[in-house]
Amino acid sequence: MRADLIVDARYKSCPGPLLALAEAVMRANPGQVIMLLATDPGAPTDIKEWASNVGHKVLEVEKIDDTYQIYVEVST
Amino acid sequence: MPKISIIVFSEKIDKIFPAVTLATTASVMGWEAELFFTFWGLLALRKGYEVKEVSSDYKGFEENLRRAISSGAIPSWREVLEQGKKTGRLKVYACSTTMGLLGIKEEDLIEGVDEVVGAATFLSKAKDSDINFFIS
Repeated sequence: MRADLIVDARYKSCPGPLLALAEAVMRANPGQVIMLLATDPGAPTDIKEWASNVGHKVLEVEKIDDTYQIYVEVST
Repeated sequence: MPKISIIVFSEKIDKIFPAVTLATTASVMGWEAELFFTFWGLLALRKGYEVKEVSSDYKGFEENLRRAISSGAIPSWREVLEQGKKTGRLKVYACSTTMGLLGIKEEDLIEGVDEVVGAATFLSKAKDSDINFFIS
């Protein structure tokens, strides 16, 4: 999947990945897709919860080795 | 929007960190969040005070926590707090009684403290919260 931005939050524990993503989202434009890289096992569900609260969209979650690739579309 | 209110009673890092993490996470989720620092928790808001110890029951893990912070695996509590403050939805209150008790003046407090308040003010804010925690 194509991403406009990559946020690398590997080896960061909660709340690191979410805070890194939230900061990137503030600077991103609506419609852009951010790929978050995270190794924290809580990240996929955390990001989904956050997205459903704030209106962004988790498009896909992929796990490659220990790393989650979480694709988030910034809402308009 | 939902609201969370947390009373921070201790300045030990294993108490401060979860309190601030929950409040900041709530604020980046679009919620309102309030932190009320009282008693020993207020020490953490004093300029120049370094929060570095864990509670005495868990001293054995202090080095783990220190390593996790210095390696960047977990952010410092101040960084987490600052990100919450940036949302404009996280408020930090300092307990007025404790200020007097510990001889702390308003100018001694770090940036980011919204107001010095008493119990009644905090309670009236907390009564509208969906979640209330006391972390001691």
